[in-house]
Amino acid sequence: MRLALAILIALPSLAGAQPLVITAPAAPGGGWDQTARAMQRVLAEIEPGAGVQVDNVPGAAGTIGLARFARSERGNPHALLVTGLVMVSGVIINGSPVSLADTTPIARLTGEYEVIVVPVASPFRSLRDLVTAFRQDPGSISWGGGSAGGTDDLLVRLLAEQAGIPASRVNYIAFPGGGAALAAVLGGQLSAAVSGYAEFAGQIAAGQLRILGVSSPSRVTGINAPTVREGGIDLDLANWRAVVAPPGLSAVEQAALADRITRLAVSGQWRETLRQNGWDDQFLAGAPFRQFLLAEQSRIEDVLRRLSAADQSQPSNRGPALTPSTTPTVIGTTLLLMLLAAGAKAARAFQPVGQPGVRMSGTIAAALVLLPVVFTRLGFVLAATLLFAMVATAMRSTLAIRTIAIDLTVGVAFSLALSMVFTRGLGVALPSLTF
Amino acid sequence: MGELLNGFAVALTPANLLWGLAGTTMGTAVGVLPGIGPALTVALLLPVTYHLDPTAALIMFAGIYYGAMYGGSTTSILLNTPGESATIVTAIDGHQMARSGRAGAALATAAIGSFVAGTLATLALSVTAPLMVKLALAFGPAEYFALMVLAFVMVTTMLGASPLGGWLSLLLGLTLGFVGIDGLSGQARLTFGIPYLLDGIDPVIVAIGLFAVGETLWVASRGPLVEEILPVRGSLLMTTDEWQRSWKPWLRGAAIGFPLGALPAGGAELPTLMSYGIEKRLSKRPEEFGRGAIEAVAGPEAANNASAAGTLVPLLTLGLPTSATAAVLLAAFQQFGLQPGPLLFDHESALVWGVIASLYIGNAMLLILNLPLVGLWVKLLSIPRHWLYAGILVVASLGAFSVHRSAGDLWLVAIIGVVGFMMRLMDAPVAPVMIGLILGPAAEQHLRRALSISQGDWTVLWTRPLALGLLVAALAVAAAGILSRRQQVRT
Repeated sequence: MRLALAILIALPSLAGAQPLVITAPAAPGGGWDQTARAMQRVLAEIEPGAGVQVDNVPGAAGTIGLARFARSERGNPHALLVTGLVMVSGVIINGSPVSLADTTPIARLTGEYEVIVVPVASPFRSLRDLVTAFRQDPGSISWGGGSAGGTDDLLVRLLAEQAGIPASRVNYIAFPGGGAALAAVLGGQLSAAVSGYAEFAGQIAAGQLRILGVSSPSRVTGINAPTVREGGIDLDLANWRAVVAPPGLSAVEQAALADRITRLAVSGQWRETLRQNGWDDQFLAGAPFRQFLLAEQSRIEDVLRRLSAADQSQPSNRGPALTPSTTPTVIGTTLLLMLLAAGAKAARAFQPVGQPGVRMSGTIAAALVLLPVVFTRLGFVLAATLLFAMVATAMRSTLAIRTIAIDLTVGVAFSLALSMVFTRGLGVALPSLTF
Repeated sequence: MGELLNGFAVALTPANLLWGLAGTTMGTAVGVLPGIGPALTVALLLPVTYHLDPTAALIMFAGIYYGAMYGGSTTSILLNTPGESATIVTAIDGHQMARSGRAGAALATAAIGSFVAGTLATLALSVTAPLMVKLALAFGPAEYFALMVLAFVMVTTMLGASPLGGWLSLLLGLTLGFVGIDGLSGQARLTFGIPYLLDGIDPVIVAIGLFAVGETLWVASRGPLVEEILPVRGSLLMTTDEWQRSWKPWLRGAAIGFPLGALPAGGAELPTLMSYGIEKRLSKRPEEFGRGAIEAVAGPEAANNASAAGTLVPLLTLGLPTSATAAVLLAAFQQFGLQPGPLLFDHESALVWGVIASLYIGNAMLLILNLPLVGLWVKLLSIPRHWLYAGILVVASLGAFSVHRSAGDLWLVAIIGVVGFMMRLMDAPVAPVMIGLILGPAAEQHLRRALSISQGDWTVLWTRPLALGLLVAALAVAAAGILSRRQQVRT
């Protein structure tokens, strides 16, 4: 009786220590995920006892995570979303109905500046040389960097506009990342490449690349090169990462979250994390951060909107002769035509399936369709047991209550063991039974 | 040479030795078990290994690839069901040997031949990779595009019963590859307004659907299985006569397997078939072939291991996968933010050479795992089939879920699994789907990059000698394929 009373008294205080859930709107391993997990680690050290969870919601430059966060976490003062420059452009490119304006800004945490490089044998000695040639014939200067709409792309387009060239006339060639553009710029096939400093650091140190400009407001210690501003272009850009809270928080709740993140950002553990990851400290909170966010949004929106407006009038200028839709259309049509033409022949080529085969593979197919329906509701162990038993029963030649019972038992044991390995051993959170 | 020694320093650390052992053991196991292969295993492990050290993970994956080539032969010999597509040929004579009480000799010549050829081919890999890197530095977007066109033509011409099946399979892969946001322009393609498709279709999900679900449905559709596992009879120590009949096929198998593995011809099926044909032609006793000739086990088994090493040459130096497993390995590199290609040898020298060195060690481990310990693997074969496939599907669903922690991917796995099942019913090869899925968008982007750099001038494709040579080779392969089909039809 006393024990039950103690539990009843203790319950509300336990509920009060509700864990903080940080949404990383990307798959495990990427920059946003690393930021979320670094925050989780440091918060666990500086706030003993506080629970912090990381939730990955990957997809579409973070806009899928953003949409889910703004919708389902509204008013929740224990939720944060990791965001950054790429999400600002992703919202525009993907036509996402939800933007960062639908969240509560908390603080910017880190950032990385960009560098513009040319091969050491390039005739361009300075950014002024490059921009002069660029103004004369924009198409003749091929720029390489990471994916379209990413920081590298934005830097080149913003630079073009500052130099008086429409962003749509830039001959920007996207690679899977700055590192992949490296081979093309070293091979002399690109005029210049753009990426974060770290991607090119090895070749810069080896004397194979020359930095024409760094996208920082003033010179960065450790990088012996002029800024883009010194090259006569009024521009700075950083690939920043920040955290935002859900919409609909009271002023008190906002202040509490901001305090918590400020304590994190000034802690020694966080500084050590920044150093280990090579992240630049760009902490900015409160009103200055809100202003920064608005300014970034408006300048990126401007350049991208002008770009997409230009695209519709001149579809050829982002990949001469081949538009993004050419190849999928050609390949997809060929596939359909071949399927149609081969339809009659293929139908004859089909290998016959006997009566027991239809029953067996049909049952398995049914089990596979049932699985996604029950997976999150029943939890992994029960859903997997169901799948196991259905498949095993289907593949047996005989059917009896006894064999179904055996299959269910083996299935439970197997699923439990697998679930232990994954959740305990590998740290993969699996869905459990929910009511 | 110094780099290879550094590689050994990396591969011989206790942790990496353990990862290598884990990989080779797992590889042997999945090679032995029918229905699960190296491509699927690596795909299933990807989502849970992203936080590992890349070197350790890749050493493990390479071990799985090599191990599966060893393990597959055990099943082919004792069960007459190939454990792996690479050991289909082994099943012909290997099983006959086992029936006549010479299972021991068949297993021994397969394992020792795999070791000899695997080691020789790894040596060839260590020598040719640096040379290829020098050549690869001259590759620009136009050359990469031409190379990928060659790969597409070869994969469809060489695999499967009919070119139609191969082309359908490749086109399906290409179309799936275009789904999502275009890397060059940032535009969404073939997404039909579904946000889920914006990120494209994950190759891991496709591999799980095609190889795990498709295969299970296929096996189930054949009706109840009747299988007989033969016991290991006969000595594992080969007689002098058997040694004499084996060593030349081993060397020839290595010589056929390595270059054919390096060519974009879709893996080990072709080299094993060629090795079988050549051994039969060279043999003084061709009438024994099909009734338990040891050469027919020694040659193809050597060839499949050598081809695994050959596959790594274009994969590491050009980022070009030539088999389904290599396609998944490429996804593994990309998961760790590594882009295989000439610069990988520069940036990640310790990693690349560590993985290559681990292959030498792995081959030695595999010889021990597969000969003295063969009894353990035979036990694995006695797992009832209905539990084996049920287990494979449970693990596959778990793997598919862990990729993005999303239950939505399970739908995609089921759909692709049914497609893979239909392809098997049509006798269409599934490997071109993986190659098309992974290389398709890359080929298209290289083409568009080449055209952007040349400002829309299509002549870049044939004014650069290397690109021209590769395109001519692609045409030649296509023509040769059509001609040989005509001849087959006539005879």
